[in-house]
Amino acid sequence: MDFSAFILQQMVNALFLGSIYALIALGYTMVYGIIELINFAHGELFTAGAFIGVIVLSGLQQIGWVETHFVLTLFIVFGLAMAYVAVLGVALEHVAYRPLRNASRLSALLSALGMSIFLSNGMMLSQGVSDRAYPQVFGLESIDFFGAMISHSQVFIILLAFVLMVGLQFFVHRTRLGKAMRATAQNRTIARMLGINIDQTIRITFMIGPALGAAAGVMVGLYYGAVRFDMGFIFMIKAFAAAILGGIGSIPGAVLGGLIIGGIEVAWAAFLPSAWKDVTTFTVLILVLYLKPSGLLGESEADLRV
Amino acid sequence: MKKLALLTLSLVLALGIGTAAGKELKIGTLSPLTGPYAQDGTDIKQGVITAVDAFSPVKGFDNVEVLPGDSACDGGKATMAANKLINSGVDVVVGAYCSSATEPAQIPLMDAGVVQITPGSTAERLTHKGYDHFFRMPPRDDVQAWSTVEFLTKKQGVKTIALIDDKQTYTAGLTENIRKFAEDNGNLEIVAHEHITPGDSDFTAVLTKLKRISPDVIYMAVYQPEGSKMIQQARKLDVDATFMTEDAVFHPKFLEVAGSAAEGVYLTFAKAPETPERKAFEEMYKKKWNVDSIGSYAYYAYDAAMVALKAAEKCGCTDAETLSKTIRGTTWEGVSGEIKFDEKGDRELAHIIWVVKDNQFVPYWDPITGKDL
Amino acid sequence: MTEMVLKNVSKRFGGLKAVSDLDMTVPEGRILSLIGPNGAGKTTVFNMVTGVYPPTRGEIHYNGTRLNRLKSSTIVSHGIARTFQNIRLFGSMTVLENVQVGMHCRTKSGPVRALLKTPFERKEEEAITEKTMELLDFFGLADKYNEYASNLPYGDQRLLEIARANASSPKLLLLDEPAAGMNPIETEALMDLILKLRDTGLTIFLVEHDMKLVMGISEQIVVLDHGQKIAEGAPKDIQRNEKVIEAYLGSGAKAEKKAG
Ligand SMILES: Nc1ncnc2c1ncn2[C@@H]1O[C@H](COP(=O)(O)OP(=O)(O)OP(=O)(O)O)[C@@H](O)[C@H]1O
Ligand SMILES: [Mg+2]
Repeated sequence: MDFSAFILQQMVNALFLGSIYALIALGYTMVYGIIELINFAHGELFTAGAFIGVIVLSGLQQIGWVETHFVLTLFIVFGLAMAYVAVLGVALEHVAYRPLRNASRLSALLSALGMSIFLSNGMMLSQGVSDRAYPQVFGLESIDFFGAMISHSQVFIILLAFVLMVGLQFFVHRTRLGKAMRATAQNRTIARMLGINIDQTIRITFMIGPALGAAAGVMVGLYYGAVRFDMGFIFMIKAFAAAILGGIGSIPGAVLGGLIIGGIEVAWAAFLPSAWKDVTTFTVLILVLYLKPSGLLGESEADLRV
Repeated sequence: MKKLALLTLSLVLALGIGTAAGKELKIGTLSPLTGPYAQDGTDIKQGVITAVDAFSPVKGFDNVEVLPGDSACDGGKATMAANKLINSGVDVVVGAYCSSATEPAQIPLMDAGVVQITPGSTAERLTHKGYDHFFRMPPRDDVQAWSTVEFLTKKQGVKTIALIDDKQTYTAGLTENIRKFAEDNGNLEIVAHEHITPGDSDFTAVLTKLKRISPDVIYMAVYQPEGSKMIQQARKLDVDATFMTEDAVFHPKFLEVAGSAAEGVYLTFAKAPETPERKAFEEMYKKKWNVDSIGSYAYYAYDAAMVALKAAEKCGCTDAETLSKTIRGTTWEGVSGEIKFDEKGDRELAHIIWVVKDNQFVPYWDPITGKDL
Repeated sequence: MTEMVLKNVSKRFGGLKAVSDLDMTVPEGRILSLIGPNGAGKTTVFNMVTGVYPPTRGEIHYNGTRLNRLKSSTIVSHGIARTFQNIRLFGSMTVLENVQVGMHCRTKSGPVRALLKTPFERKEEEAITEKTMELLDFFGLADKYNEYASNLPYGDQRLLEIARANASSPKLLLLDEPAAGMNPIETEALMDLILKLRDTGLTIFLVEHDMKLVMGISEQIVVLDHGQKIAEGAPKDIQRNEKVIEAYLGSGAKAEKKAG
């Protein structure tokens, strides 16, 4: 393996990991943007998506659809996982966050932590404590891209992540509801005065963010081959760091943050002693926050008074 | 006539041997019932319960009680759980699993005069502390490392090896020992030593780094969840080294999750004797817990509990002093082979080399005899 | 008659009585100004009318509808829109988007349709863009439609606020100090613009400190001091009103003292 192939391969590794972090980070940032709440249960929603994915995929594999209707199978798996978690997200908002919307931030935060523990335990009880294998529908084959090996699943996942992020960008910038969402994120009071239904906007945010997390969950299962009830934790920490790094509340910031965190992790492990990998990620995070407390693309908070 | 004899016998037992009446044997377990290693931890708990169910009633005891404790693969939690078991009056503890949990738990258990048998911890120093009441079922780390180096140099004839560990007591101890034996051997060069974080999923960066260094062998000192993911990524990255790993990966889950990626991976694990007892145990275990496959540590846990039960029955005692003496002084037959403890509490047992073939663990080579299996 | 009527309206903030027993009517199609020294309670009146908070006592009716407990998102659909004393634009959205958000309550398409881009949605979007550009043209902001609101010069930001409020097709427009921070030329243009808006049939409810503007365009003036109405009438009457002069001089004297 020559040096250029090595660099290219590490870039692919970073892009892949970064895209996953970015997708999860989007969920944190969108929710925070709209209700200034860190949705600690987001990692569990991501895991729930992975579980729905494996349940549906295993079922479809059993009836032979993976061989006969490969594309349709993937469509159904992602579709159902995202839809289920979107509903779960809305339910979560309704039960745990809406009643506390005018309470102190601390109570909402505690409620979020509580929901995280609740969902995590729920999945432990219903799905068991051990790894659950994901059907490896893409096999182990890779494409040789100038010496870098890109597996079929990686190609698919990177493309899908890209499509989802572009779709989100399109939604928030080109559609009426997307604009309402951005307006609400910038100043809820004013948005309400302009006739925006804040409840509906928040509900839509709690559909899209968790759905993206669910997609990331299925992607993780498909590529890494296994899911477990507590898998959300490590991804949550990294994605959360990504959202903060990019500027929590900022959608492009979450994507940028995800790619940077993925990049740092890979670069560090690639060139320096891998033992210190995680320390570096968080050192960079602390450094950025020290220099720019609102994150790379973050904005300072809106003044909600009128 | 027979009935009458039985009745008389039981009457005699109930009234006559008054000393035995009300006697109870309490066996505690310590294993991670939560966290990433909860699978192995659950296997351990179930192995112990299976043994008690299979062996009961124990002559001389009215009742045997199993008290499960959660060590969570964490020193603090393990100590707390150990203290809780001591307060409940346990006589024997089977546990813990992670060496980093077993070591701190040893202190209160040994102080309280409880016999401890670990079904999973393999760090050498656990049996080097002069504890009389501590026993270990699986072979020590250094034995495993020795087997690995023997295999790689004698059987495979490889020259270079890269090590990966996840910085935990067990895995770091293993790579340390491999380094030691490789240096003693002189024919195996360690060309890289990388680390990963337990719980991580993505190891592509480290694997790519090793692919570039291109060692003959990559040794994965990790646990099953990470091992299953790592081998898949290695295959997708087209890393053409030989992959070798250890007993913490030796689990049916590894075959299930890694699938075809696991083919050709070598592992060290204790010999599995083809005895009727082992078959009977497997059948009983699968039926009792409604599972298709049995985790490796269930065997050790079953044996540990069996040894404790048989010894207690033999000496009719629960005090650590006599119980330990009985355990040490006898050769036991177990589902993990013959069990004979030396004065330190270690078994005279070596790992053999296994290989994954057609999604099965298959015995491959015995480092003691130097023969194919 | 679509007029706005405030009956006996009071607002308390803890111990502070920001507005006391205010009775007033904003007649349809006119320009009515609410003036008074700093802290008199003018913005508080706007906030009650637009549903930021309910009055402590009293009734607010518009076009026969009681507004007291309605949500601000509902009030806007009754045809009441406003601007803010401290500019409250969506800084990281473009000029065009700000106006489009202002139009939100007059448009329909839901989330699914928005994503699927149905013909209805496409047609509606075209109509929205067209209407938005017309509006921006009216306010002289058309050539800046793609700039971020936060990058506009101050005067233009004020205009954009009015444009955004207008996007909801209101019948009653509340302007809270629209000339604040404008230079005399801009203020002059603003006067023309307000008159032009009035001529389209819009009712204007204005809060402003710039007396030249107030006296120049108001048809009727209400004066507040310490939350109480102290005068009401045509501009020329107000200019001569003793109480009003005293209130302004008094507060002016206080302000000087503070500055000193
Ligand atoms: N949300 C609030 N909480 C507490 N007090 C408030 C609040 N809003 C306004 N006030 C107080 O009510 C009084 C009236 O304020 P208001 O903003 O209505 O005055 P104003 O006439 O608009 O003054 P200005 O000309 O300076 O804008 C002031 O004393 C102000 O401090
Ligand atoms: Mg004001």
